Amino acid sequence: MTAPRANRPLARAALVLAVALALAIPRAAAAAPVVTTQAVAEGLTCQCGCGLTVANCNHPNCEFSVPVREQIDAMLHRGMSGPQVIAFFRRKYGEKILSAPTTHGFNLLAWIMPFAALFAGGALVAIALGRWRSRPNRPVAPENPAGRDAFDPEMRRRLERDLREDL
Amino acid sequence: MPLIGQLALALALILAAYSIIANVAGARRAIPSLLASARHAVWAYCAMVTVAVAALWISLLRSDFSLEYVASYTSSSLPTFYKITALWGGQQGSLLLWTWLLSIFTAVVAFQNRRRNPEIAPYALATLAVLAIFFLGMLNFVTRPFDMLAAVAHDGQDLNPLLQNYWMAIHPPSLYAGYVSASVPFAFATGALITGRLDDSWIRSTRRWAIFSWFFLTLGNLFGARWAYEVLGWGGYWAWDPVENAAFMPWLVMTAYLHSVMIQERKDMLKVWNLALIGMAFALTLFGTFITRSGVISSVHSFTQSGLGPYFLTFLIAVVAAYSALLIARLPKLRSPAEFESYLSREAAFLFNNLALVGIAFAVFWGTLFPVLSEAVRGVKITVGPPFFDKVNAPLALVLIFLMGFGPLIAWRRSSFDSLAKTFAAPALFGLVTGACALAAGLREWYVLASLSLAAFVLGTVVVEFRRGVGARRHLVKESTPAALVNLIAKNNRRYGGYIIHVGVVMAFVGIVASSFFRTEVKKSVHEGDSFQVGPYTLEYLGMETTETPHVETSRARIEVRRDGRPITMMLPAKLFFKRNQQPATAVAIRSTPAADLYVVLAGVDQQTGLVTFQVFLTPLVFWLWAGGVMMAFGTVIVMWPNVRERAALAAAVRAAADTPAADEPLRRRA
Repeated sequence: MTAPRANRPLARAALVLAVALALAIPRAAAAAPVVTTQAVAEGLTCQCGCGLTVANCNHPNCEFSVPVREQIDAMLHRGMSGPQVIAFFRRKYGEKILSAPTTHGFNLLAWIMPFAALFAGGALVAIALGRWRSRPNRPVAPENPAGRDAFDPEMRRRLERDLREDL
Repeated sequence: MPLIGQLALALALILAAYSIIANVAGARRAIPSLLASARHAVWAYCAMVTVAVAALWISLLRSDFSLEYVASYTSSSLPTFYKITALWGGQQGSLLLWTWLLSIFTAVVAFQNRRRNPEIAPYALATLAVLAIFFLGMLNFVTRPFDMLAAVAHDGQDLNPLLQNYWMAIHPPSLYAGYVSASVPFAFATGALITGRLDDSWIRSTRRWAIFSWFFLTLGNLFGARWAYEVLGWGGYWAWDPVENAAFMPWLVMTAYLHSVMIQERKDMLKVWNLALIGMAFALTLFGTFITRSGVISSVHSFTQSGLGPYFLTFLIAVVAAYSALLIARLPKLRSPAEFESYLSREAAFLFNNLALVGIAFAVFWGTLFPVLSEAVRGVKITVGPPFFDKVNAPLALVLIFLMGFGPLIAWRRSSFDSLAKTFAAPALFGLVTGACALAAGLREWYVLASLSLAAFVLGTVVVEFRRGVGARRHLVKESTPAALVNLIAKNNRRYGGYIIHVGVVMAFVGIVASSFFRTEVKKSVHEGDSFQVGPYTLEYLGMETTETPHVETSRARIEVRRDGRPITMMLPAKLFFKRNQQPATAVAIRSTPAADLYVVLAGVDQQTGLVTFQVFLTPLVFWLWAGGVMMAFGTVIVMWPNVRERAALAAAVRAAADTPAADEPLRRRA
């Protein structure tokens, strides 16, 4: 399949843009490490009262987040994995230190509800659309030509009509 | 000055109450002079609130420490700029700002509708005045900005250092403008429900207000993110803090509303849904204020916490209950002959777009309130933070981005697979090629691959739409390509401005995904003259310099940044120490480029060893988040630009509504 002559510059530009979009991130992110202190600290809530994660606590000399970040750093350097570090802090401070609910017991509700609500909403939309669709005496609409080529006669007639209205 | 301010607030309360009575009585008995009097009362209470704002501003600028508010939120050494912004730096002042904006918007609505919407407008103005009465009641009786101290303070306690930043000068007013202007379409919806004028004239009359609200909610959220990025010093911009969530939810619901009303305007469908959406959006603005001020959930915005929570909660419940009752009472009259032909139609795409947007809003709402629920049920306080919101919302965001490309190109009523294939072939190919290139370049994270592909797909659909329109104009009007492009946008500003907003959303989305997945962090403790590497950059610490003003002491590190051996910039991260309130703060240094931001925090200084610790983040593509915000703002301005054809349509809709009897006269009379 060959592109018409008029489309070639656009196709070339699209290809260049696609490559640029695709390459932008890997080039900039070449040095991204696998597990960082920041990533692990995101999983823990600061206990200084700021309400943010240990990674994001905005108190410059916070008595909680600063030493915990140092501790995480040391534990990762000793070869512990992210989940192991988080488990350690959970044992020490309890569930309140986790920055996300666990996935069992009552906390499971936190994870299930958004998707349950979404599926329920989706079902309602589908049912409503189904009902509206099955109503009798619907006027039959001609197929809309939105998908046709910009320069086919039908499309052109419609555009000409629209444009005349605008002028 | 305080006396003038307090008196003005008291008069404003009386005038607002009078405007309700005059508007409702004038509308029910059809007395034009009474309606005119009500409008004058609206303008007068706006003037009174303006006097109160001026009085507080003058007191702040004069450092009148006999006033409790001035003594609590400023000091004699605070720079003048922050004395001005201190108006919204504290509880009472920010409520006053809210009330002021509400009174200005109400005055504009009264002016716009002096000869328009004679049935709905009085009730809409009365609704706005009810809201004003709540806030004026708070300012007069509960949290008074003009309360005096028993003895004049020697100096003030100063403004919170976190608020001494220029983004804080524009973030709260923008967000408040977004919150408060949402009350205008809400008030008209209430007016439509009361009067039974349930056609789309209330939507058309307030379309610009809804876009205005969305515009400022967008800006408010972005300015807040930028403030967090520059001030909080953790390299990020969004922490899913409850107050951030509270600002994000109305934006989501308002976005859903702006899409959904198009279906009502075009097909007279979804009347109940649109009324519910605008009610929800407005209730969420009140909920946001409740969250910010109640302290029921701990937040980084704790500087605005107060004991106002119960008042706001009561008012919120009352508003939701009254609006729901009105909506339920009108349900029989809101049924429209819904006409739907195919799941492959723009109507269906917009409905699923609404589902995704409201779904995300619900997920955010649920996550924000879950700690309260957990404590009530289990007695265990837990935190719902970024990992939860990221995991729950990430797939929904992909669905939304897909629909953003799919919805605008698919036909109204019905489409066929054949026409879909023709319409979407090029954008889909563009998306797939982008994904394939990213895969070939070494990316393996499925979410990033999907995001890039979908972003390219959406950009492709926008290009297809512009190309079609420009091609048609070139053929028909014989215009050059640039002229055709400009005229295409000018004559169809709502549609093409919308596409520009979509491009902005895609730019911001790519920035968010890249900066979330690939941020690099380096922490180094160095002596003067030492260098260290961060990605492609070499950072050399050259030394520390200290400056001092009567207000703040600044220790600033000088860092030379080199790339490939060539110096490219000097960065100056600093530690600030605010003398009056004895609080430290961080001033980060940022070098922003389209490829990546280099973000340097002066994390600590060891006076004994001379070691200085830097925390450095290299965040790819975050620039595009802000650029996307600018693009969204540009697109919104185009959408809001006056359009002759649209004005004619509005006039026709209002005329048609005036010629049609109201849906339910008895209910209107009862009101």
